[in-house]
Amino acid sequence: MSLMLTKEDLAKYPFLKQSAAYVESMQLDLGDLAAEEYSGILRKALTRIKDSIDRNIRPVDLSDPESEIISYPLSLALVYGSKSNWLINRFATIEAKRVEEELRSEPGDKILEIAKSGFSWDIEPANLKLEWEELSFSIPLQPYLEAASGFNDPHWKLINRYVKGGRVFLNTGSLARLISEGFKVKIIRRASERELHNFRIPDALAPYLDEILGYAQENMQFDEELPKGLVSDARPPCIVAIMEDVKAGKSLSHMARFALTTFMVNVGESVDEVLKLFGNVADFDEGKARYQIEHIAGLIGSRTKYKPPKCDVLRSFGLCVGMDEFCRDAKHPLNYYRRKLKRMSGSGGKTGARDRKKGV
Amino acid sequence: MHEIVRKEFSGYYSGLRAEDLEVPDMPQREFAFLQFGGEVMIRHMKFLDPSSLKEYIVENTPAHIYHSSAYYKMPEATDMSEKGWLGADLVFDVDSDHIRTKCKERHDRWRCMECGRDGTGFPPESCPNCGMKKIDTRTWICEDCLEAAKKEVINIIDEYLVPDFGVSGSDFEVFFSGHRGYHIHVRGQTFRMLSGDGRREIADYVRGIGLDIRSHGFRETKNGILIGPDMKDGGWRGRVARAVYEFVNRASLEDLKEAVAPSVAKSLFENKEKFLKSIASDPPYWGGLKGYTLESLEKLAIASIKDLICNIDERVTIDSKRLIRCPNSLHGKSGLRTLRVDYSGIDNFDPLKEAVAFRQGSIRIYVKESPRVRIGDEELGPLKDKTLEVPLALGLYLICRGAAEPR
Repeated sequence: MSLMLTKEDLAKYPFLKQSAAYVESMQLDLGDLAAEEYSGILRKALTRIKDSIDRNIRPVDLSDPESEIISYPLSLALVYGSKSNWLINRFATIEAKRVEEELRSEPGDKILEIAKSGFSWDIEPANLKLEWEELSFSIPLQPYLEAASGFNDPHWKLINRYVKGGRVFLNTGSLARLISEGFKVKIIRRASERELHNFRIPDALAPYLDEILGYAQENMQFDEELPKGLVSDARPPCIVAIMEDVKAGKSLSHMARFALTTFMVNVGESVDEVLKLFGNVADFDEGKARYQIEHIAGLIGSRTKYKPPKCDVLRSFGLCVGMDEFCRDAKHPLNYYRRKLKRMSGSGGKTGARDRKKGV
Repeated sequence: MHEIVRKEFSGYYSGLRAEDLEVPDMPQREFAFLQFGGEVMIRHMKFLDPSSLKEYIVENTPAHIYHSSAYYKMPEATDMSEKGWLGADLVFDVDSDHIRTKCKERHDRWRCMECGRDGTGFPPESCPNCGMKKIDTRTWICEDCLEAAKKEVINIIDEYLVPDFGVSGSDFEVFFSGHRGYHIHVRGQTFRMLSGDGRREIADYVRGIGLDIRSHGFRETKNGILIGPDMKDGGWRGRVARAVYEFVNRASLEDLKEAVAPSVAKSLFENKEKFLKSIASDPPYWGGLKGYTLESLEKLAIASIKDLICNIDERVTIDSKRLIRCPNSLHGKSGLRTLRVDYSGIDNFDPLKEAVAFRQGSIRIYVKESPRVRIGDEELGPLKDKTLEVPLALGLYLICRGAAEPR
């Protein structure tokens, strides 16, 4: 038996089929929403985006679910219209977190209903009682892997899940987390679809887009700018380990070299600094190394600056040396570096200062 | 490569029935070829049916023939982004080169290209003398290597694909690669649309990478009681429990000492029966031994799963656009066929017999150096600097391996 989803549910979970259908039934044009009569909705949409910029996770206002439902596509249009990957990511992340919080107070059968309506996942109720937990749902491998690939905690790795007969068994909390991540991925993936490349916000809404961009600016700069040159204390453990091998003159695997070089280039080290690093390695050939580093830095060849491999890849190649507290929230070594830098500068100590010479 | 090999390959392909070259969903696959002596892969070819593929092969006689694991809207497009990826088979590549078999001492050699140090057996990761990683290898295969690869295939299918991933018998095919090992192609919808990240999770799953036993029910309660999974549980949860049971059951005191601290090993060894009985009880009880903690359990689990994890070339599994050998094509480095193996009869499958493509005729060859080799029912070697007449398949094998020349 299918559960009835209420208007409040549609407001809370904008990714539901029914929410989209509701918005469609209003037959509104995006440009119309700038009109005075919809100012309440517009205000809600703007608040929604600003909340995400401020990382403010606020439950939806259920006193007026209708305007809440319509405010979502409007805020999404503004976010897509900004063409800022930073904003799209931030909005998706915070919306997903909000959904996860809301799901936490829902009963299991409703979560199942939400998952089925929001995504085409073939979820089934299960009744698997283990020693100390109950796995109440199962989901096929493919959608699980797709949604969980965004998580870094080892607990989410397929090998650490209860897998049987092509299905992954989950408890209620995990399913809620998976739904919110699925929602996040949906928002981000949509942004790279072709129809959105040429999307432009209607002129009537342009001033509001400017308002958002102005509001976001300060945060964006803070998130994207890295100090130029390596800050030793912010290095992830994998990079530290590779550097120690280099120091000891050990010869490195191709992947270790690649990871180290891309990491150094991306934190703003010069080709010469990176070359110096490898000076100790036994089979060092300066001419060849310089060529390769310049290539990786995007100075020659395809002009693409290569990024270090993701944590998953490093792990598969045996270069992950174990996690520390920052690793748990990062799925990429640069991501780790950025977070740790932020924490270091936040703590007010002197550790945030540059220390290029000590880097190696 | 010698003209004689090309001529024999050409004869083989002329005599082949077109339908033997059938590949599921052929029009959506990219085909690729490597010519004899050629270094550049001829790629982005599309064939609508086996007859047109056969026609091309007979005309050009390539040394190696591949098709994509992926399905494309336009397999003939030269730009990968224009091909229009529609999904891909999931492929497992089991290569006996990756398996540490004892027979490698008999037939494999390595040499450090830097300092010249050499040795026999499985090549070291870096030279034990100078530490460099430029190691040249001369590897051969024998019945034992291929048997080890076959065991690995059975392990992947029976231990992982069927029970955990729910793959049914009609969803996968096993192929002898024509040289060093086997390929498993998993078709069907379950894995078809998986991205590289998802495929990596599958590869890590069968390789035992990233296993965290705490995620599988091993816990220490507040009052210090160790609880853990049941051997009947699904996935890695039950697998770890069963592996620990089996490991402890057959372990000597020395084996245990290698896995856990000496005092724990001793207590575990002395109370073996009791331990095994309590982890097999319902509900299982994982504690009760002196000095035995969650950490020792973790170490024990890691030691126990060693024989269960699969040796695959993970790059092949992760890649959603891999080129793989066509069924019934010849392997240019062995002259043997890439052959579909009936999985129900795999135990009795003898690749060095059944994948022989040239069953008649003989050839006079000069052998530079070769370990003992068997092709079909014919055995040869070890021998060096010798000219002799051998059955065609064996002769072509040695020529393709670069160990002999036609005379």
